[in-house]
Amino acid sequence: MSTPRLIRPLRPLLQGQVPRAAPRAAATQLRTYASVEQPSAPSAAKASSANAPAAEEAAEESGKKNRVSRLPRALEALYLKPLRREAEYGVPTCDLQLRSYSARNLEFFCDFALRAAYYLNLPAFGPVPLPRLVERWTVPKSTFIFKKSQENFERITLRRLIQIKDGHPDNVQLWLAFLQKHAYYGVGMKANVWEFSKLDVAKEMDKSVDETAKLMEGKWDHLAYVEKKAEPEGKPREQLPTPEALEQFIAAERRRIAGGR
Amino acid sequence: MSMFRAKKLDLGCFTNVRILRDHSKRKAFEAAEPERQALRYIIRNTLLPARTRAIAQLQLTQMHCYTRPTQIRNRCILGGKGRGILRDFKMSRYNFRMQALEGNLPGVKKASW
Repeated sequence: MSTPRLIRPLRPLLQGQVPRAAPRAAATQLRTYASVEQPSAPSAAKASSANAPAAEEAAEESGKKNRVSRLPRALEALYLKPLRREAEYGVPTCDLQLRSYSARNLEFFCDFALRAAYYLNLPAFGPVPLPRLVERWTVPKSTFIFKKSQENFERITLRRLIQIKDGHPDNVQLWLAFLQKHAYYGVGMKANVWEFSKLDVAKEMDKSVDETAKLMEGKWDHLAYVEKKAEPEGKPREQLPTPEALEQFIAAERRRIAGGR
Repeated sequence: MSMFRAKKLDLGCFTNVRILRDHSKRKAFEAAEPERQALRYIIRNTLLPARTRAIAQLQLTQMHCYTRPTQIRNRCILGGKGRGILRDFKMSRYNFRMQALEGNLPGVKKASW
């Protein structure tokens, strides 16, 4: 949790916002965000404080002890561990598995996914390192008579699991879509999503059937057995055979195949 | 069996006549698979009359040999070789080694343990 000392914020100095309200700070020390934590603090700090409460606390402590210049909070959060929401009930709603051959890409994208989950209000757990998948191949280096000298190749797939608990299904979908949009090279993703509904699922399904039935009413004509264009106007359409007739036909056919036996 | 061969070249990889033949066999098998499965079902279904099953057996044996799954053989996409193919990469062992050493196969490295 060390704050970057060398990066000095420019804005308060340039705009001269930090002024007479804090004369003791202005006298000898650097004018920084940390030194301007009065009621008249710039609104940017307030806005970012809503985003990063944990980072703010840590920063406030360090700011009181030794006043050091540092980045705005939202930016500083990028250098710290990703923030997390707390799960209230702990019901898993989404398992995201990330796979890659390179640990660097994988770690980076896990970090990205966790940060995205935080800002989408999703409690994320992980990344859990799952067992590596090791595939090995041994091939002769040259033609078959030189079987003695062979070469080994391997491909190690690294896996990480990120679990979302208590996520709203819409938010989970949004998160997955966001990750897919910003997919990182060399990292594959697969997700298991669970959705929960009320106990009387059957009633809801019945309701939805009624609704879709209305939508389907006009469409049945398109499923016609006979082509519509061919028949002239006013003539009744050719009917499908009745179930009884079909049964008779099938029985007759069976008899025919069996050779009249 | 030119009737199974496509009129236009429909392959992107290395081509020679053996690869083309294998490809047309794969397509023929794919097209005839439902028919084969239906006949196999009829042959194995003991509830059907014996005559029906015998007819199905005959029909199955009279189907073209290109429609049999056993005719399909994995071949190297880079050289057309028929032996020593690594299924994961669809390549013969020599081409696999060349590609792996060049670093063209993602994640494949020389192993030592």
